[in-house]
Amino acid sequence: MKHIVGVADMKTSNSIGDTIVTYSLGSCIGVVIYDPIAKAGGILHYMLPDSSIDDAKAKAKPFMFADTGIPRLFKQTYTLGAQKPRIKVFIAGGAEILDQRGFFNIGKRNYMALKKMLFRNNVLIDKQAVGGNVNRTVRLEIGTGHIYVKTSGQGEERI
Amino acid sequence: MTAIQELIKEIKNLKPIPAVVHPLLEVVDDPNSGMEDIAKIIQYDPAITAEVLRTANSAFFGLKQPAETIKDAASLLGTEQIIDLVLLKSGARVISGKQPGYDLNEGAMWKYSVSSAIIARQLARQLELPHKNSIFTASLLKDIGKTVLDKFVQDVFEKISNLVINENLTFMEAEKQIIGIDHAELGGMIAKMWKFSPKMVKIIRNHHLSDETMIEDTDIAIVYLADCICMMMGMGVGADGLAYRFHKQAMKQIGITADDITKIIAEFTSKIQEVEDLLQVV
Repeated sequence: MKHIVGVADMKTSNSIGDTIVTYSLGSCIGVVIYDPIAKAGGILHYMLPDSSIDDAKAKAKPFMFADTGIPRLFKQTYTLGAQKPRIKVFIAGGAEILDQRGFFNIGKRNYMALKKMLFRNNVLIDKQAVGGNVNRTVRLEIGTGHIYVKTSGQGEERI
Repeated sequence: MTAIQELIKEIKNLKPIPAVVHPLLEVVDDPNSGMEDIAKIIQYDPAITAEVLRTANSAFFGLKQPAETIKDAASLLGTEQIIDLVLLKSGARVISGKQPGYDLNEGAMWKYSVSSAIIARQLARQLELPHKNSIFTASLLKDIGKTVLDKFVQDVFEKISNLVINENLTFMEAEKQIIGIDHAELGGMIAKMWKFSPKMVKIIRNHHLSDETMIEDTDIAIVYLADCICMMMGMGVGADGLAYRFHKQAMKQIGITADDITKIIAEFTSKIQEVEDLLQVV
């Protein structure tokens, strides 16, 4: 079964026939986590780094923000049998508009928020396709743990 | 025949924008006009009237009693909602389908256009600009040039992409260099052909601010920023990705901060399901 992760959304699974995909990340971040032993994983698609700008929205849509979305992704995947030491992390997105560097760079801020949070929790990023001016779509196959990234204007590639 | 001559021939074959849009825009942004004037203009176009009534009576709006006339629909749903439906129905006629040259699947450009139009109008409201419906429409139609340039882009995609990657050009600068015209310039020509006001033509022509002096025009700065916000959100972004220039002066021009933009993104995202549902019925 194919699960589509919308914007400000998250999906997890441990059914080996499942695929999880999130489209068109722009400056948003797609966090893909996968435990190859439990064959369980998930994708979070968040838009903004920090929920403190709007507590009410963070409560209603926790997957909109890095700080409220990332812990939920891990916790939900643990309930499917995944264990922290075995989890592989892949990051996609965080693109920027040309000349945006250093000024209101939401892609970069989204990525930094994630890095800080993972660092504090001793989680390493396994692989990533981050930054640049391209739009990305990312797909996870639960049965194999294979991750595919489609970059705007190009074909899909296995990471 | 040169590429530009071919393109000019192509734009003449485009489906026309429904004629109702012009008089409607003249009236709706005039504070002295009322619902009666607006209903009269819409009813002059029977096809659009039928479509608007069908949507107004769909499950999406859940009316208890069916609206039989535009006036009924306006009093039940609000005049603004009816204006939106007419503009969206009109836009959908010309910005539909897929654009494989830009790697956009069926409906992706439409979703992008509607999202940026909603955000542009939100900005116009915040600034209390009187002509928010014209800004909405310009934003909705700003990428019309892409619908025609699409197959030309498809033919020379490699060359465009190489310039973007290796020469740090924007996708649009590369379009201009390889094809001889870019999608904003072509969009301006189409808007002119459709007899839009010089102001609308100017917004569509300059929506990427390739001429930086245009930043001083608040309407253009709004449409430009709404476009940037949609790119960042990844709303229906295609092969051109985010390869456009960011002009931070545009924010200064309309007096909004980075925090304001973050809030706009959060606000839009929290309403995204409503937008998706609306897209299903228009």
